[in-house]
Amino acid sequence: MRAAKVLERVLITIPIMLGVAVMVFIFMRLTPGDPVDIMMGEMVGISDAEMEAMRREFNLDKPIHVQLWLFLTDVLRGDLGTSFVKRVPVAELILAHLPATIELAVGALFFGLAISIPIGILSAVKQYSILDRASMAGAFLGVSMPSFWLGLILILFFSVKLGVLPVQGRIDHDVGLQEVTGFYVLDSILTGNRAALVSALRHLVLPSVTLGATLAAIVARVLRSSLVEILRADYITLARAKGQVEFLVIMKHGVRNALIPTVTVVGLQVGALLGGNMVVETVFGWPGLGRLVVSAIFNRDFPLVQGAVMTYAFTYVIANLLVDVLYTYLNPKITL
Amino acid sequence: MSQPLLELRNLTTVFPTRRGLVRAVDGLDLTVREGEKLGIVGESGSGKSVTLLSILRLVPPPGRIVAGDVLFRGESLLAKSSSEMRRVRGRKIAMIFQDPMTTLNPVFRVGEQIRESLRIHGLVDGRGRARRRAEIERVIQVLNDVGIPYPEESLRRYPHEFSGGMQQRAIIAIALSCEPQLLLADEPTTALDVTIQAQILDLLERINRERGMGIILVTHNLGVVAEFCDTIAIMYAGQIMEKGATEEVTTEPLHPYTRGLLRCLPRIYGKREKIRPIPGLVPDLATLPPGCPFAPRCDVVRPECREDRRIPLKEVEPGRWVRCLLY
Repeated sequence: MRAAKVLERVLITIPIMLGVAVMVFIFMRLTPGDPVDIMMGEMVGISDAEMEAMRREFNLDKPIHVQLWLFLTDVLRGDLGTSFVKRVPVAELILAHLPATIELAVGALFFGLAISIPIGILSAVKQYSILDRASMAGAFLGVSMPSFWLGLILILFFSVKLGVLPVQGRIDHDVGLQEVTGFYVLDSILTGNRAALVSALRHLVLPSVTLGATLAAIVARVLRSSLVEILRADYITLARAKGQVEFLVIMKHGVRNALIPTVTVVGLQVGALLGGNMVVETVFGWPGLGRLVVSAIFNRDFPLVQGAVMTYAFTYVIANLLVDVLYTYLNPKITL
Repeated sequence: MSQPLLELRNLTTVFPTRRGLVRAVDGLDLTVREGEKLGIVGESGSGKSVTLLSILRLVPPPGRIVAGDVLFRGESLLAKSSSEMRRVRGRKIAMIFQDPMTTLNPVFRVGEQIRESLRIHGLVDGRGRARRRAEIERVIQVLNDVGIPYPEESLRRYPHEFSGGMQQRAIIAIALSCEPQLLLADEPTTALDVTIQAQILDLLERINRERGMGIILVTHNLGVVAEFCDTIAIMYAGQIMEKGATEEVTTEPLHPYTRGLLRCLPRIYGKREKIRPIPGLVPDLATLPPGCPFAPRCDVVRPECREDRRIPLKEVEPGRWVRCLLY
């Protein structure tokens, strides 16, 4: 039953991705700037004929509806096209950059939850205490700080001043990591490369903190406010009246219920972690999808942008699906 | 009747508020004997629920007990450490609540919530799977006792799959699971339909009769108490205004407040009488008038009622107490 519903939801992603792709297709072509012009802009002595040939190669000489048709029929065959600039299949480019982005998102998620869950719980339990006020002020700061600024400050302090963490990149190149999956932390564990593991983790710290700060702030606030409410509920009094120890009253009866609204927020944020990290990837020179798509947009590399946006849409929908499935476990009133 | 099961002596619970200290429970003296059914009646805000929470020492902060004592079988509950107190809660004294819809934890199965009590107090011996089986057997038995049909299936249900009446039965099952000696019932029928109310009262009656469990029933419904309780205490503004055997109090009320409450009861049989509500509102506990708190609403008030002194609770006949200057 549940599996069938999940499958149904996965299949629904296909029209969603196509819809997104069509929109991106149209908007990219509405943006001023011709890809061939941009590509050739810096070169001297390119003849009009050569430019024309290039347009023909990319099908840019055809009317827009024909281009769209070609694009959609290719996509349905599983072909995302070839990058104008890099002359490499888009799917290949995306697959090469996606692990870095996912790894960073997981790092940020891990950091964000590790910080926000204890803080949210403690703030709710010790409502209006100094700890509560301080952490909620911190959370406010966390939401309002732009990530490029936070990233630069962290680099300045930890990398430049203290010199304890690397400035940028995913790994030191002298550790000789053999790539298996493209997830460096996983790869270094799989290949038993201790030096690579340390290096990969050290590189992950600052970008994860920067990217996860917003998530941490939002989750801490949501968890706190829902837990504050729940701790006043009758079933909490009942749990105490049963003779349950306070720790379990809070963790079992309180937090378990407070997780329901929290998971919703985390789910939405996971989408943002995957799709909203262009700034962080740029600041930390992180070779992920975000940076790839930014340069693709500047170059009017239509196929690459379309492919990347479809990937974002896919991850977003899947993240939401995971949340919905998790929800049915957390909240017995809800079925898929 | 034998030794007191529970004794409240001058119990005083206060809540600091912006407008001053609110004495939600103000020098309460009450006794419950083994197997006795005591009813505490009063309007909303008269301190009934806080009294029950004070007995279990579960008054929500910033409220706190500032004076008096709670003696359970002669032992002070206020003197107990918090871990000793936890062994009393649920095991010796259990509590049921007003709104069954919000009293069961929505995310756990009903059976699990009953089993939790058994586990907390380690009431079922054994290890691992054998213990689990024994616990579930006990859960089924308790569900049976409170009249929940198909207990084997019901224990796997979530609270929202139950009706209000069934939820209240499940909460009573939680309370009964550890076979406490005293049950605190905080308006257990208020949120239910009248027919369900009667069923729940029957159930409580049967539990009292079969197990000899003492019950304190808190309600604003004098009719419920008149039907159910052996003794009755009328509470107003945190104080007891009158207490005594139910029959005496309901047929021959002494305190003007009790008389007022009785006049508010609609009658189905006998002479048609107009319902006369008590004029005025429950007083604001932060700004109580001097003297008798009921004076502003009393129809036989005298000047000395408003003098600034506490009116004593007087025993006018053996077992019959009233806090009024008329006596």
